[in-house]
Amino acid sequence: MKKEHFLQSEGSKSVAASVLSILIGLAVGSIVILIVGLTSPNLSLSSAWDGIRIVFGGLFSTGRNAAGTLTWGFNPTNIGNMLFRAAPLIMTGLSVGMAYKTGLFNIGAPGQYLMGTLVSLSIALGLPSETMSTTLIWLLAFLGGTLAGALWGAIPGLFKALLNINEVLACIMTNWIAANLVTWLFDISSFKNVTESTKTGYIYKTTYNGVATAKMGLDKIFPNSQVNGGILIAIVFAIGVYVLMSKTTFGYQLKACGSNRHAARYAGIADKRNIVLSMAIAGGLSAAGASLYYLSGNTEFFWSTYQSLPAIGFNGIPVAMLASCNPIGIIFTAIFMSMLDISGLQLTNLTAYNEYITNVIIAVIVYLSAFSLVIKMWIGKLGKKNDDGADANAEPAPVPSPAADAVPAETEKGGDAK
Amino acid sequence: MVSVLAALRVRAIKTEGGRKNLENQYAIEMLNITKKFPGIIANDNITLQLKKGEIHALLGENGAGKSTLMSVLFGLYQPEEGIIKKDGEVVSIKDPNDATALGIGMVHQHFKLVDVFTVLDNIILGAETTKCGFLQKKEACKKVEEISKRYGLNVDLDAKVEDITVGMQQRVEILKMLYRDNEILIFDEPTAVLTPQEIEELMATMKEFAREGKSILFISHKLNEIMEVSDRVSVLRKGKYIGTVNTKDTTKQELSNMMVGRPVQLEVTKDEAKPAGEVLKVDHLCVHSHVQKRNAVNDVSFNVRAGEIVCIAGIDGNGQTELIYGLTGLDKPASGTITLCGKDISHASIRHRGEHMSHIPEDRHKHGLVLDFTLEQNMVLQRFNEPRFENHGFINNKAVRDYAEELIKKFDVRSGQGPITRARSMSGGNQQKAIIAREVDRDKDLIVAVQPTRGLDVGAIEFIHSQLVAERDRGKAILLVSLELDEVMSLSDRILVMYEGEIVGELDPKKTTVEELGLYMAGAKRTAKEETAV
Repeated sequence: MKKEHFLQSEGSKSVAASVLSILIGLAVGSIVILIVGLTSPNLSLSSAWDGIRIVFGGLFSTGRNAAGTLTWGFNPTNIGNMLFRAAPLIMTGLSVGMAYKTGLFNIGAPGQYLMGTLVSLSIALGLPSETMSTTLIWLLAFLGGTLAGALWGAIPGLFKALLNINEVLACIMTNWIAANLVTWLFDISSFKNVTESTKTGYIYKTTYNGVATAKMGLDKIFPNSQVNGGILIAIVFAIGVYVLMSKTTFGYQLKACGSNRHAARYAGIADKRNIVLSMAIAGGLSAAGASLYYLSGNTEFFWSTYQSLPAIGFNGIPVAMLASCNPIGIIFTAIFMSMLDISGLQLTNLTAYNEYITNVIIAVIVYLSAFSLVIKMWIGKLGKKNDDGADANAEPAPVPSPAADAVPAETEKGGDAK
Repeated sequence: MVSVLAALRVRAIKTEGGRKNLENQYAIEMLNITKKFPGIIANDNITLQLKKGEIHALLGENGAGKSTLMSVLFGLYQPEEGIIKKDGEVVSIKDPNDATALGIGMVHQHFKLVDVFTVLDNIILGAETTKCGFLQKKEACKKVEEISKRYGLNVDLDAKVEDITVGMQQRVEILKMLYRDNEILIFDEPTAVLTPQEIEELMATMKEFAREGKSILFISHKLNEIMEVSDRVSVLRKGKYIGTVNTKDTTKQELSNMMVGRPVQLEVTKDEAKPAGEVLKVDHLCVHSHVQKRNAVNDVSFNVRAGEIVCIAGIDGNGQTELIYGLTGLDKPASGTITLCGKDISHASIRHRGEHMSHIPEDRHKHGLVLDFTLEQNMVLQRFNEPRFENHGFINNKAVRDYAEELIKKFDVRSGQGPITRARSMSGGNQQKAIIAREVDRDKDLIVAVQPTRGLDVGAIEFIHSQLVAERDRGKAILLVSLELDEVMSLSDRILVMYEGEIVGELDPKKTTVEELGLYMAGAKRTAKEETAV
């Protein structure tokens, strides 16, 4: 048998599809910049060119020199901030990706994130730092937040397992319950920032109580940035999820339940327990992301959240999809997404454009990542043309749906109608 | 709109008048077709000639290339070599629309119907009559009614497809072809899902079509049906064309030998059963039905002893599925007790029951396999946390791989990439073999086998039957559920007939006849309850 063409292996196809989505997204962003630049009387072609360059290389822009042209180089602030923002995104990405691998769509990440925020901030600000070590408080706050998210995530899991209620519906409802709950509880709490009168509606930073995530030396590498050990913790979590899902019998059970609940039950696997556990772990991951973000010491929580849900929870979905739900891939896609954030800030600071351009780019990428299967097939065909006789499936099943019958394709799937 | 009746009449006259001239004319010729897939030649220089007005059976084992060949004819695949002729003229079929335009219609093994549409909507879908963009359902309805009356294809046009029986769904598929005035009809394993009565009706309909000059390609590996209905048979084996014979000049044995490539044992050979101690005892078991108010299984009592094969016979839907669900723990029994190896397991978990019971499930896609898992992952579906395969919570990949390879070899499970093949990409027969391998190798006292040979070819059936007999001779108790009368008669040591949720008779296969068994199955005869209760 011939050696597999590199575009034929599943893994590299996924990576190629993601990279393609990203490139197309960036290209569309550039086109938008160009159109805005050419149609607006205030902007010139050269400012559009500046904008495009920042979209692609915002991470390495260091500002403008005296002559007004963009300067480039290693920018530790940008990279540090990017890593700082990536940490919670990795966690929500893992939350969505891990649930997805077990056949559940965790759209409840924002609610779990909020519950994590509530509990970890309450512990971090509530425990007396005079009598306790702040490291211990940090640890308790982190674990408490994670646990809260796990319990919150378990609720839709229970509904799904016991009453067969679609987890998406239950998740959406628990999201809003969480938003209101968090608002009310902070409203009656003593954690509202009253010392800085300009900031109404904010909760104290955890540094108010002396609690902050350890820098773990990262501030030496990336000075003048918000970076801390959170990114390292998130990466450890990603590796942990990878090991859990691919190497352990527990992960095997979770995946079996996710792919075919009936077969798992038939084999004596406790399907209900596993569905609840899956959602609980997903909830815990999302909430741990919130803990990492708010325990950093330099972030403030705006507590009147009942009108909106934290975008970082929803952003876990594109992060996970773009990485095909591979935990290791999620590290990179989350970092990439936060890089776009940084580029957006650079656009606002250095050009006449604002950060909404990067929202367009993210939107396009999210759209395309939803089509990743189509893109993958397309790449597969491309690979086949170059190298005939790769993919080795000895018994090709006939293509199921003949267009002549004009009936939508009906894929056979384990009898498990979702 | 041209009336179908008229069209059919014209065609019938044509065929009759021109029969002599057309004697050697073929409706469809597939000449020297070669279709390669990476790593395998699915069709290797295959020639298939379909005469007008004949029923031509295409016979071959699972994976012999039948479906690929039909997909080529239907435009789903493009062959590397070879030509297709219609009425002697070379045609090019690039996609299924071309095939439809040439009058080729196909009933797929897995029906292509929209579940939430009505029967009528399904039939006209893709070939709707419209006026100014509006559907003309009345006309369509009239046409469909005419066709269905003409061929006795009874369907309820207003019913939704999801609510009708599998047999009726198939009639809908057939009506779809007739509605499109197709004259070349392909039936891909049409009888796999039907009850014996429905099979008989289908056979009659097919013969009627042939009489009217339609040409029929009938894909099957059921020799009885092929012998009954076809005029000629072409045999494929491992992608190669073996030959074409006239049905009346051949025998079942010859056909199966051609298909498998070696002499096949059509009858099960087994010695007298030597039943020993009781393994399974079922006492007054009732299981609720999820569809109806009454019990699906009503007051059923029987036992299975070590070293015997007890078969539950009956027409599909008489409570066999529910009985097995209740036994294996997939559903909760409403009342009654189940005793396995001396322990009451009436309320035990599936895992607990699995300590003494292995289960070859009825639905291999729903219960038997996780289709997205690899073959090796499926092989340890129940056993992944045995010490042999688990190391401190981690999967021992090497042990799993070795074990899977051992089973693959022992049970001849064929797949593209061995242990790492996705279960989804394997052929049905090999999926079933994988399940049998897993369940038999678990080495439990009781094997519950539900329709273990459904949809399989003679080679695979022979293998599975011999495995079950071998397990019996090793002292295992085997509870078999089968809808195939041949299988019931040849494999079992005792037959329990189920009718409307009750066991209506216990028969000895050596002393009874198929006819008598049929009477019990139809509910026309039953033994007094006291006799059957064990």
